[in-house]
Amino acid sequence: MKTIILNGSKPGDDFSEKVLGILCSVLQANRWESTRFDLAGMKIAPCRGCFGCWVQKPGVCVFEDDGQKLAPAVIASDLTVFFAPVTFGGYSADLKKGLDRLIGLISPFFMTIAGEIHHRPRYDKYPALMGVGVQEKPDRDSGEIFSTLVQRNALNFHSPGHAALLIPVGQDEKSICEKFAAVLNDLEGKK
Amino acid sequence: MMRRKKALLLVGSPKSSGSTSEALGGYLLNRLIEMGFSGTKSILRRAVRDRKRIDCMLASVNNAEVIILACPTYVDSLPAPVLRALEEIVAFRRTHEGHGQPRFLAVANCGFPESLHNMVSLACCRRFAGEAGMIWAGGLSLGGGEALNGASLQNRKGLARNVIRALDLTATALERNESVPEGAEKLMARPLVPRWLYLWIGTRGWKAQARRFGTAGRLGERPWRDRSGETT
Repeated sequence: MKTIILNGSKPGDDFSEKVLGILCSVLQANRWESTRFDLAGMKIAPCRGCFGCWVQKPGVCVFEDDGQKLAPAVIASDLTVFFAPVTFGGYSADLKKGLDRLIGLISPFFMTIAGEIHHRPRYDKYPALMGVGVQEKPDRDSGEIFSTLVQRNALNFHSPGHAALLIPVGQDEKSICEKFAAVLNDLEGKK
Repeated sequence: MMRRKKALLLVGSPKSSGSTSEALGGYLLNRLIEMGFSGTKSILRRAVRDRKRIDCMLASVNNAEVIILACPTYVDSLPAPVLRALEEIVAFRRTHEGHGQPRFLAVANCGFPESLHNMVSLACCRRFAGEAGMIWAGGLSLGGGEALNGASLQNRKGLARNVIRALDLTATALERNESVPEGAEKLMARPLVPRWLYLWIGTRGWKAQARRFGTAGRLGERPWRDRSGETT
């Protein structure tokens, strides 16, 4: 099983680094391979909404920088993890610059899902999504926004399963470990 | 002489020109200027490029009494350059004293016909206002923004009539130091065109662009090895 971790935390964020370490250990214990992209240090231009990845080079972003590494890695994975400090309830700018460059993974054409319009899938299979948000302190409102965002991303990326995990800064290692193990177990069942 | 209130438009579209966000925000800013506000504009994709420009944007934010963010929804939430700008604003206001408490409102638009796709973007804007110590004045949500295609609203009068009414109501409310009225929210959320027509035009539009790039018939290509192991 392959996991891609898109890390949108800042370099020097010790707690996030610790949580990422725990996540990788839990994945390894479950025999999941993991590859991590530390987005803050990568040269990724912001998506300009040109739709070149839909009409000019179908499925490939027209910007030739580190951002081009993300789409093939994500679509080849069984699980993609969006990891970031919870920022205004959502993702950090560093994570979002990577995510915005993934729209080539879906088709420009439309379909209806549960009465809403979405884009059709481009590929036959997509990875499950796990959103991991590190919160400065537990906060119900921002947690609900974060969970909604992960659920909306899963819908638009045609993911077979998804989960949103909120980790307050300072949470103990054992609790974090248990959270990850429970989510992985659940997602594995939905593959 | 009465002091003029200051309004700032933050344009959050990452597009280089002709964005629907700029058309929406620009219309609202112009209405406020007609009502006696002074108005300035900051293009966020440029503003976050380097420290000097960020500082310039922060100074504009610090001077404003009304701040309008007009932006698209990208992948279910705010585009990366907008988040970068908002992160910078919060970091600055947490570490500097003496800033005011402006009213902050957001006008979000998305490419899907339903306006509900903007819900996370607007929720993030509301959270931002709280964390930045601003007054959340509400949000307007437009679906099918591509139909306006970045044209000025005056040039899209029939199509944009509900949008114009929503922004007029909002300008009047802001002038009275009030929040976005519920009536404006409802008008903005109304579909610009019937859903079937939007989808029909959208599909034709993709095919027309593909012909221009010589990719007609290739829009469904799968350039990366599929997870099933097949190369397509």
